[in-house]
Amino acid sequence: MMDHPATGMLGADGIHVDMNHLKKGEVNLGTSIMAINFKDGVILGADSRTTTGAYIANRVTDKLTQVHDTIWCCRSGSAADTQAVADIVHYYLQMYDITNNEPPTTQTAASLFQDLCYENKDMLSAGIIIAGYDKRHGGQVYSIPLGGSLHKQSYAIGGSGSTYIYGYCDANWREGMNEEEGINFVKGALQEAIKWDGSSGGVIRLAVLTAKGAVRHLYLPDNGYTAPGPY
Amino acid sequence: MTSIGTGYDLSNSVFSPDGRNFQVEYAVKAVENGGTAVGIRCKDGVVLAIEKIITSKLLKVGANKRISTVDRHVGVVSSGLVPDGRHFVARARDEASSWRKFYKAPISTAMLSNRLGAYVQAYTLYSSVRPFGVTSIIGGWDSEADIPVDGQVGNGPQVGAGGKVTDVKKGGPALYMIEPSGQYWGYYGAATGKGRQAAKAELEKLDLSPTGISLEEGVKEAARIIYVAHEDSKDKEFELEMTWISSLDGPTKGRHQEVPKELREEAERLAKKSLEGDDDDEEEEKTGEEKMEE
Amino acid sequence: MVGFDFSNHNRNLALHARGVPLPQATSTGTTIVGCIFDGGVVIAADTRATSGPIVADKNCEKLHYIAPQIWCAGAGTAADTEFTTALISSNLELHSLSTGRKPRVITCMTMLKQHLFRYQGHIGAYLVVAGVDPTGVGLFTVHAHGSTDKLPYVTMGSGSLAAMSVFETQWKPELTRDEAVKLCANAIQAGIWNDLGSGSNVDVCVITENNSTLLRNYITPNVREKKQRNYRFPRGTTAVLNEKVIKREDISKYVTVHELKDDSETAVAEKMELDA
Repeated sequence: MMDHPATGMLGADGIHVDMNHLKKGEVNLGTSIMAINFKDGVILGADSRTTTGAYIANRVTDKLTQVHDTIWCCRSGSAADTQAVADIVHYYLQMYDITNNEPPTTQTAASLFQDLCYENKDMLSAGIIIAGYDKRHGGQVYSIPLGGSLHKQSYAIGGSGSTYIYGYCDANWREGMNEEEGINFVKGALQEAIKWDGSSGGVIRLAVLTAKGAVRHLYLPDNGYTAPGPY
Repeated sequence: MTSIGTGYDLSNSVFSPDGRNFQVEYAVKAVENGGTAVGIRCKDGVVLAIEKIITSKLLKVGANKRISTVDRHVGVVSSGLVPDGRHFVARARDEASSWRKFYKAPISTAMLSNRLGAYVQAYTLYSSVRPFGVTSIIGGWDSEADIPVDGQVGNGPQVGAGGKVTDVKKGGPALYMIEPSGQYWGYYGAATGKGRQAAKAELEKLDLSPTGISLEEGVKEAARIIYVAHEDSKDKEFELEMTWISSLDGPTKGRHQEVPKELREEAERLAKKSLEGDDDDEEEEKTGEEKMEE
Repeated sequence: MVGFDFSNHNRNLALHARGVPLPQATSTGTTIVGCIFDGGVVIAADTRATSGPIVADKNCEKLHYIAPQIWCAGAGTAADTEFTTALISSNLELHSLSTGRKPRVITCMTMLKQHLFRYQGHIGAYLVVAGVDPTGVGLFTVHAHGSTDKLPYVTMGSGSLAAMSVFETQWKPELTRDEAVKLCANAIQAGIWNDLGSGSNVDVCVITENNSTLLRNYITPNVREKKQRNYRFPRGTTAVLNEKVIKREDISKYVTVHELKDDSETAVAEKMELDA
């Protein structure tokens, strides 16, 4: 028998999760992502950098992925894994909508994401934030970190760049912000994350989810992330 | 048209020339001999009740339950072949638990009924199986509160979810009845079994609108209706089994439970009393009719 | 011996422990690119195939047919790109036949990513998928692990950095067909000249709404010079030192000699017998 030092994604101490266990040559979303709850719903935000090792494979990536009309997710970790998981959940939610003749709730989406992330934790490196708006529950933000646990939060940050903005977010977070304040909070936090994290960069993409539906925003580094704005 | 000897009644997978499936119709006959079962959807809960004919004095009183809990918030009562009812309940529990495993939340009564309807219908298609010899009443209370995903950590923002619409109707009572054909409808009041005609006539007299009778009134009505329906088979003794599901702020807190003994006995006392009164009324009416004939 | 024999497994572990590396597959150290233009899309590739330090093929084809209006450029393990594109091409045609519609680029991309994700990167196919379908122009990259990107211009393979530098300096929105072809050819040449894994010629494929054109060896910047000398020496180059003639009668003393009349006689034994 060969002896193995540690199993799965756990580090040498058997407790901490190894964040850098990507397979060789795998496309990585060295990332800054976040989602917040605000007065009228939720706002998701992300940088746009995708890397393979030291090379930027895509500088205008869209890490905000729609899985239903007003349920979106922010993806971090392996691009292949998170795309596959999001595609599966997207399929499940479409099936849910047509078979039950009612839109799924954010909770349903979060539960599906968690099921996939937990049951396949040994094979996946995916850190996903789910945010959505539904009529019954309003805006909700859930975070699923590497092990597959599910956390309901007032706001969530994730990806390698998030380590640099815990302080910023803690100092600037207020509950019940209006839309403009919310956008500025997300944008301000992501600017800091991009500034300090080498694996994050490019443009800032946002998605604002309210009773009115989803509105997307784009902010370019050329003008200090002030334009063009919603589209 | 009689089916005897035509051969069209021998298999599930064969239609008669006039488009009937006799096997399903025979299954309905099996139900028509079962004890009367009723379900009442009240404004703040659901009651399920069944008349259990006592077939032997050797059977323990209060044992051999006929109403089952499928999930915390759903109950099922069946009339017809008892083992078929048990199999139906087993399937209902499987559906409810697989929903919970996948969505980490309880299944809605409507969704459960839909799946069970599809299951029962499948037993009318194949020559290798026979249809269910039961008609089942499914009662449930879909939670009006925001329920967390099972196993979630944290509660979200202190001020509550952003943009939440407050006047949206959430959850509430639900009542469905599934027949051997797989056909099912949602009901205000449902009745099946031997005394269904009398029971339905009684149910129609009740105010079962969303602002209608309360759950406690419903319990008393259910007991009375079972007693009324039993009038035609007075020679046989029976036992009344009753369960209920209330709203979250009601007596069962959204769970499916047996009606407490005291309340059930009180309801039975009132039922018997009203029957004695009914007898008087009927006699009075009869005399009245006779008078008019004169 | 009954059952499976696992002795090779232990042997392989022992060899690996002593530093014997695993065998290497033929890898197309490659430059492939793609770029959309007004009304269509161009993809291009170099034509060098390598096996370790050896150039295995100087003029291979890295542009793969998927459907009439969808083509794929492949980098990574040669066999994997070849078989993966062939498989998806087949499935896409069946899908197209059963739906009665033209195949879509996004369908092709989704089938590729799901196939590659299932194999967790063990199928080493890195692909640029391009085409035109009823929904418009499509251009995607698909990585071996199953991740995809959608961009107006893309590069992949070992020469992708060199090629991307060309796009990043010369690309502009609203290119014409000819500008796009030229830009892609330039990007491939950047790979050919600056990347060790890439070389030889430039293949280009242009796809528009109503036709697709494969420009095989669109640019051949590495034509082999005619050899200034050759190895065919004229008769008499080698001096005859001595000569001896042996007659048939003399040699029959040592071996049996048969007289053969003509060719038909010699081939008798090989004639096939036919049923009457």
